[in-house]
Amino acid sequence: MITLEHISKWVTTAGLRTFLLKDINLTIKEGEFVSIMGPSGSGKSTLLNVIGMLDDADEGKYDFMGNQVHSMKEKQRSQLYKQYIGFVFQAYHLIDELTVYENIETPLLYQDTKSTERKAMVGDMLDRFQMVGKKDLFPTQLSGGQQQLVGIARALISSPKLILADEPTGNLNSRQGEEIMELFKKLNEEDGVTIIQVTHSEKNAAYGNRIIHLLDGRIEHPR
Amino acid sequence: MIRNYFVIALRNIRRYKGHAGINILGLAVALAACTIIFLVLQHEFSYDQYHKHANRTYQLVRKDVYPDGDNFDIGMPFPTIRALRNDFPKIKFAEIFTSYGSQVTVMQNAETISNKKFIEGPGIIFAEPELFDMLDVKWLAGNATALNSPGLAAISRSQANKYFGDWKAAMGRYLKLDNNILIQVAAVMEDVPVNSDFPFQIVPSYKTFLANKDVFSYTASLDNWGGSSSNHQVYALLPEGSDAEGFNSRMPAFLEKYYPDKKNQPGKLYFFLNPLKNIHFDTRFGHNGDHVSSKTSLMTLALIGLLIILMACINFVNLSTALAVKRSKEVGIRKVMGGKKSQLRLQVYLETFVIVCFAALLGLGLAWFGLPYLKYIADIQQPLQLLNSGSITFILAVILATTVISGFYPALVMSRFQPVEAIKNKINTTAVGGISLRRVLVVLQFAFSQLLIVATIIAVSQMNFIRDADLGMDKEAVLLVNGNADSSFLSRQPNFEARLRQVAGIRQLSFALDAPSSDNSWTTNMAFDNDATDKDFHASIKMGDDHYAETFGLQLLAGSFYPPRDSTPEFVINETMARKLGYNNPKDIVGKTIRLGGGKWLPVVGVVKDFKNKSLRDEIRPTVITNNPKFQTTACIKISAANLGKTNRDIEAIWESVYPEYAYSSTWLDESIQNFYRQEERLSRLYKVYAGLAIFISCLGLYGLVSFMAVQKTKEVGIRKVLGASISSILYLFSREFTILVVVAFVIAAPVAWFLMNNWLSNFVFKISIGAGVFVLSIAASLLIAWITVGYKAIRAALANPVKSLRSE
Repeated sequence: MITLEHISKWVTTAGLRTFLLKDINLTIKEGEFVSIMGPSGSGKSTLLNVIGMLDDADEGKYDFMGNQVHSMKEKQRSQLYKQYIGFVFQAYHLIDELTVYENIETPLLYQDTKSTERKAMVGDMLDRFQMVGKKDLFPTQLSGGQQQLVGIARALISSPKLILADEPTGNLNSRQGEEIMELFKKLNEEDGVTIIQVTHSEKNAAYGNRIIHLLDGRIEHPR
Repeated sequence: MIRNYFVIALRNIRRYKGHAGINILGLAVALAACTIIFLVLQHEFSYDQYHKHANRTYQLVRKDVYPDGDNFDIGMPFPTIRALRNDFPKIKFAEIFTSYGSQVTVMQNAETISNKKFIEGPGIIFAEPELFDMLDVKWLAGNATALNSPGLAAISRSQANKYFGDWKAAMGRYLKLDNNILIQVAAVMEDVPVNSDFPFQIVPSYKTFLANKDVFSYTASLDNWGGSSSNHQVYALLPEGSDAEGFNSRMPAFLEKYYPDKKNQPGKLYFFLNPLKNIHFDTRFGHNGDHVSSKTSLMTLALIGLLIILMACINFVNLSTALAVKRSKEVGIRKVMGGKKSQLRLQVYLETFVIVCFAALLGLGLAWFGLPYLKYIADIQQPLQLLNSGSITFILAVILATTVISGFYPALVMSRFQPVEAIKNKINTTAVGGISLRRVLVVLQFAFSQLLIVATIIAVSQMNFIRDADLGMDKEAVLLVNGNADSSFLSRQPNFEARLRQVAGIRQLSFALDAPSSDNSWTTNMAFDNDATDKDFHASIKMGDDHYAETFGLQLLAGSFYPPRDSTPEFVINETMARKLGYNNPKDIVGKTIRLGGGKWLPVVGVVKDFKNKSLRDEIRPTVITNNPKFQTTACIKISAANLGKTNRDIEAIWESVYPEYAYSSTWLDESIQNFYRQEERLSRLYKVYAGLAIFISCLGLYGLVSFMAVQKTKEVGIRKVLGASISSILYLFSREFTILVVVAFVIAAPVAWFLMNNWLSNFVFKISIGAGVFVLSIAASLLIAWITVGYKAIRAALANPVKSLRSE
């Protein structure tokens, strides 16, 4: 599904290159549940953003389901990730001005889904997450765990093949965190959704079936 | 999706109430101002455009080229039309004679007068029926053919209602004009629309005028090509396909053929056609309507409107980009969710559209409240309709244009956010174009406000200067009682005078043609000191009895004022006349002789100090004052301040008993002088209003910018406070920036203002000089206003707890 070859990314300050990612080679197959681990500043989020096409690599090749992402224009890339990728963030990143219902609906608006179809899909999603009663509330009226559920519901609404989660439980207490991780596991096992998560916690990483360690922008291969 | 955007737009307005409020208020004020300006322009540009044949209708006008300048006039010599009809058979002509004011007496029947008498202003126009082939009127009863016969007249609906109770009862009834001309109503027309310079009220046939020309003092033969008066005008309807140029090119030959005595004319004469559609905008000529509007001043107005709306758009851009920083997270999320740039731009445009629509609604409300006050700043006395098809189209167009202009930059900025940075709140003020664009915009706003401030100060001081100017005569407490020139009126004048002289409150009394300073101008060619050839300038003529000088406080420089009229009249001249005739010492000219027009040689007995003949726009003309009772129908009465009201009533009572069949009408001299400057007064009021609006809108903009800066400088202020900065030093941090902006704006605005206002002042011969004080005042006012506006936000930023502002970083 995903093949990264010699991916590097850097910033240049005062003529000096500081590498955020250096020579990353990585293959992820469909149906995997991958956890990316590493200390702060090791490039976990940057890698996730590159995979999610929110950020460019400066060097290297990126193949996503047979598409040469590195040679695509922004518009085409946006088209691609809109279709296949769902994002979940540590800080949930819900739109405060929108209700739960509208937040979940947003990706469908950008995919030009018909209004009746939208209604049905959002309705299903609310059922599935047992949030029908909360659909008219605004994000600030929800607890952190509930907000993250909305965030995941929003990521799932367009039936993505890949979910990218950047420390999804980072702002949650442990009980809420466990619920979210269980949900991911279920999605992976029952629906076959590929999941890549960035996490600090060994425990959360264990929910996945593969762990990648990053240090200073490189993948540390288990010796 | 569109619905979703609207919902969000409304929620955002609610959430950022302050910003939305400033945006809506600023735009609303600007839209109201623009809508009113649009209505004024729409009204002015519609004058006489509605006639079916407007494109082919012209007014014949004349230009006299003199050594000291050109003189334009709409008045035509009386024989003109006969010659035109002879030489141009394919063109339709119509002549009119307009009485610029007459008394109308309602008759019970052809013989008996009633006690209903009215003084009517312009609108009594003797006309040939052909005029109504050119100008459209709607006939309610009868039609223009009535104007083929002497003694018949058409009358407007509202005049008919006024005179006879109901226009349906008007046909066949009689009116008497100026107590002499009996006319019978033979047609009733619908009231002329307000956007016409032909305010027909009573239209007697032109033949009625010909039969009664003595009443208007036209005793000379109507075959005389020498004289002309703006009362007598000629209109032409060209056949389809021919143009005015062809006609104009034949005029020199025409004048050659018909003007036998042109050698005696000091100037060179031209005739040409002026399009009907142009009459309302041509300030060179006199006119029949209540005002002309120069296209320049209308364009200035349009420009002011445009600038006002642009200022409001600038505010919008400033505030929205400032707000964009706060909303960067939302934009980032939307991008990650797959929102395309075009979709995000559409969202910004829609939000802008919603705000502009709110502003338009509020603005229409403001315009509705403001419209009744329009008459104080524009020459439009009739109420205008706020909503008509034109204004609705205009408002919709402005809403769209404003949305696009205001939304463009914020849309561009927001759709360009990098999603990763936006989500992480890394978008800061520099990412949205920094502060430099906003600086430029604010400088523009302030430059425009200061331009208007300077213009206002100069216009107001010029108007004050005019009010207090030394006219060379005394205008205070002089009542002018208008009389008529017919023999029945004049024969009773000695009785009227004798009775007035018994009234205790009257200090001085003189019968005169008009006051020394007046709108009237009567000029004639002249010769000096038995020289057969005429001088190359005209003399301005004033007429008054032997009390004229003392009533108006004219100061004698040499000789004496003439004694009561005996057999031979004498002349008193002004200083300018003496100087123009080559006498710098007024004493030396006393005893010399002057011939006016084709009259007798008469001696100069005295020289008076110069007084202003007309408005301060005009040079002081070389003037001759003489005593000619036939024309001296205005009683000029100087009244003592005590018991003013009673004296006034006494005068009116005496009039009623001496002249029972004449309507009484009087004006105060100082008010009629003030009327010369109606246009300028309105202009200066207009400046005041729009300067106020401009200042208000730019203050909103400034407030927006300073809130933007407050966001941007939160961290800097926090750090400075932790390091021990005082509140005043932080206030300085904020105000320094704006002080510089205001000063830069001033540097741009000052020369422009100086240039424009110098231009405006050049309309006046007597004017103030533009001193540095005006500019000092302008920048001081701008700085003060800017500091007050900035103060609130700056103080709040300075007082904020630094711990809070630093933690959020």
